Amino acid sequence: MQDSAQLRELVISAPGIPPDLLVNEVAELFMDETHGKLLSLPVLDGDRPVGVVSRARMQQVLFRQYGRELFGKKPVTAIMNDTPVVIESNTNLSEASKTVTERLKFPVTEDFVITEGGRYVGMGAVMHLLNAMEAMLAKQTKDLATAYKELKSSQLQLIQAEKMASLGQMVAGVAHEINTPLGYVKNNFEMLEMYVDGARVMMTTCNGLADVLLSPTSTEQDLRARLEEMQAMRQTLTLPADDDMTRLFADTHFGIEQISELVLNLKNFSRLDRAAADDVDLNECLDSSVMLARNVLKARINVVRQYGQLPRISCLPSQLNQVFLNLLTNAAQAIEGQGSILLRTESKDGWLKVTVQDTGKGIPADVLPRIFDPFFTTKPVGQGTGLGLSISYQIIQQHNGDIRVTSQPGKGTRFTVRLPVSKDAPPPPEEQPEEKELS
Amino acid sequence: MSAEKASLLLVDDEERVLRSLELLFKPHYKVFSTTDGNEAVAIAKRERVNVIVSDQRMPIMTGVEVLRRIREVSPNTMRLLLTGYSDLEAIVGSVNEGEIFRYLTKPWSAKELLTTVGQAAQIALSLQEEAGADATGPVPGVLVIDDDPTVVEMVKAITGSSQQVKWTVDLDEAFQTLVDNDIAVVVCDIRLRGRDISAAVKALKESNPQVLTIVQTQLQDVETLRNLINHGQIYRFLPKPARRGLLEMSLHAATRRHSSLKSAPKLAARYQVEKNETAPVAALSSKLQGFLDRMRQGRV
Repeated sequence: MQDSAQLRELVISAPGIPPDLLVNEVAELFMDETHGKLLSLPVLDGDRPVGVVSRARMQQVLFRQYGRELFGKKPVTAIMNDTPVVIESNTNLSEASKTVTERLKFPVTEDFVITEGGRYVGMGAVMHLLNAMEAMLAKQTKDLATAYKELKSSQLQLIQAEKMASLGQMVAGVAHEINTPLGYVKNNFEMLEMYVDGARVMMTTCNGLADVLLSPTSTEQDLRARLEEMQAMRQTLTLPADDDMTRLFADTHFGIEQISELVLNLKNFSRLDRAAADDVDLNECLDSSVMLARNVLKARINVVRQYGQLPRISCLPSQLNQVFLNLLTNAAQAIEGQGSILLRTESKDGWLKVTVQDTGKGIPADVLPRIFDPFFTTKPVGQGTGLGLSISYQIIQQHNGDIRVTSQPGKGTRFTVRLPVSKDAPPPPEEQPEEKELS
Repeated sequence: MSAEKASLLLVDDEERVLRSLELLFKPHYKVFSTTDGNEAVAIAKRERVNVIVSDQRMPIMTGVEVLRRIREVSPNTMRLLLTGYSDLEAIVGSVNEGEIFRYLTKPWSAKELLTTVGQAAQIALSLQEEAGADATGPVPGVLVIDDDPTVVEMVKAITGSSQQVKWTVDLDEAFQTLVDNDIAVVVCDIRLRGRDISAAVKALKESNPQVLTIVQTQLQDVETLRNLINHGQIYRFLPKPARRGLLEMSLHAATRRHSSLKSAPKLAARYQVEKNETAPVAALSSKLQGFLDRMRQGRV
C-alpha cells in the first residue's frame, strides 16, 4: 500500500529570497516566468525558512494607494508571513495533508515550505498534495477491493475444504462399514465355489455310474470300478450340514442386504439428483446420518431414538443431513469411552424440533459462545477446520430455523435444531429459559 | 488327514464373520470361536490352541490386546491379525505387543487364508514340544545398520561389555558381518543413505531366521510396515528419534528370544516369512544377491 508515499516527491524547487531583498525586487521576481506556477516564495535566512511572501499579499500591498511608495523600498520581511506552514520532506502524505488543512487559511493563497532536517529544500503546492492524496486513496480502495475478493474466495475454498474433509471422513467410514459384510460375503461365495466344484465332480461320477448302469454292454467289473470311484468321492467330498448351508445362504443374503442399504443411504444422503424436496421426513434423515456415522459410533456409543410423529417438510435434505452428521460426529468425539447419544424429534406449533444430546465431556462456559464462529476449533491443528458448526449454523439459518446449544462440562452437550414446517409458520415458540438438566 | 488336527481359535465381534470362517476351517481344524476377547483368553488357557486369528477392532478388547494376552498364556500359539482397518497404532502394536505371524486385511481370499493358516498350523504342530531353554555360552552380538552414529552409541551404552556391537552403513558389509559373526539382533532403519532398504531387511530375515530384527525409523507408512511384518517378520518396530528405555527393553527381549531359538532351532520356523515372487529385489545390489545365493546354497 502506498501509505509510505512522502512529501519529498512533491517538492517544487524555487530559489529562496534573502530577508533583506526589497519589496520592489520581490515584485519583479513574481513577474518572472520561473516562478509563474508558485503562489508564494520562500524567504530564507541562509538555508532556514523564516517566512513566505505570497503573490496575493504582494498585490494587496502594491494595489493600495501609494503602496509602492510606502513599501517598495522596505525589505521583504516587512510584508511576509513569518509563520509559514513548514513541513519536513519525510512526512507522509496523509500527515502533511492534515497539517496543511489545519494551518493554511481559506482561500488558499500560499504554498507550503518543505524542509529536510530544518533546511529548506523547496515549496509544495496544495493542489499537488490533493492530487497525490486522491491517487493514494484510489489505490487503497483498489487494494481493499482485491483483498476482499481474495478473502471471499479463500473463505469459499475453506468451506469447500470442510465439506470435502467431512465427506472424506464419511466415505472412509462407510467403506469400512461395507467391508465387514463384504468380508464374509466374499468368503461364503468362495466356499460355495469350492462346494460347486466338488458337486460338479460328483455329478460327473454319478453320470458315469448311470451310464454303466444303463448300458447293455457293461460288465460287472465296470460297475464295480464306478462304484468304488463313487465311494472314494463320497469320502473326500463333503458339503456342510444342511443347517450350516442354510445359515451360509441366510448370512450371505443378509450381508448383501446390508451393503445395499448402506449404498442406498449414501445415495439418500447426498441426494445430488434433488436440490430441494418438499416431502422430507427428518426422522429418515436422522436415520441415514446415524447409519453413515456408524463408524464413529460403533459399539462404543449407544444411540437412543425418541422420534415423534413429524409432518414432512420442504427443505434441502442433503444440507440437513450434513448438519445432522456434523452434530453426530461432534457428539461421538465428545464422548470418551462408552456413552450414549439421545436423538429426539417433535412437532409443535408449526415447528419441528430435533435434539442431539450426548453424554460427552461437555463444552466449557468460556468456549460455548464461540462454537458457531467460523474457524473456531478446539481440535488439534489439522484435525478440524473449525467450520463444521459454522456451516451448520448457516444451513439452518437458510432454512429459516435456528440452532442452539446447552452444555454442562462433565455431563454432556445438547444441540437443538428448530425448523419451521412451512414458510408461513408462526414465530417460533419461546423456549423455557433453561431446559431440564442434562442427564 | 493326520490323527491330530491342529486347533484354531477365531475371534471376531461380527458373528457372521465367525460363522463364515468356522465353515471354512471346520473340515481341517478343531475350531473354537468367540466374539469376546476375554473368552478367547480363557479358551487359550483351557485348551491347546495352535493358531489364533483375531479381528482388531472389537468393543470389549482390541485384537492386539487379545494377541498380547494369548502370547502370555500360550506363547506357542501362532498369532494372526485379520482386520479391515489399517491404522498405524494397531499395526505397530501387533508387532511389538502381539509379535504376530501375519497381518491380514479384510476382505480376504478364502484360499489364501486357508494356505496362510495352514502354514501357521504346520509350524505350530512341529513346535509343540519345543520349549526352548536359555542357551549358555557367550552372548551373541548386535549389528547396527544405521546412518545415525548416536544409535550405535545408544546400543553400546545399553549392552555395555556384555555384547559385541558391530556397526555398518553398507549393506554388503552387513551381510558379510552376519556370515562372519555370531549375531543375535539387527538394529536398523529402513532408510539407509537416502535409499529404501526394506527389501534387504526382508532378505536378511529370510536367510537368517534366527536373527531378530528391530526396525527403528521415522517413516510411518502402514503398507510398508505390513510388508515388513508379513515378508520381513520384524521383531520390533520403534519410532525415531530412538528412545533409550524402549530400545533397551526391545534389545533384551530380542537377545533372550534369540538364545531360546538357538537352543531349539526349530522355533525359528515361527519367523518364516511369506514368500513373495513379486517382492522388489531390484533394491538389492548384485553383489548382495550373490551373497544371498551363496548362503542359501551353503544352507541346503
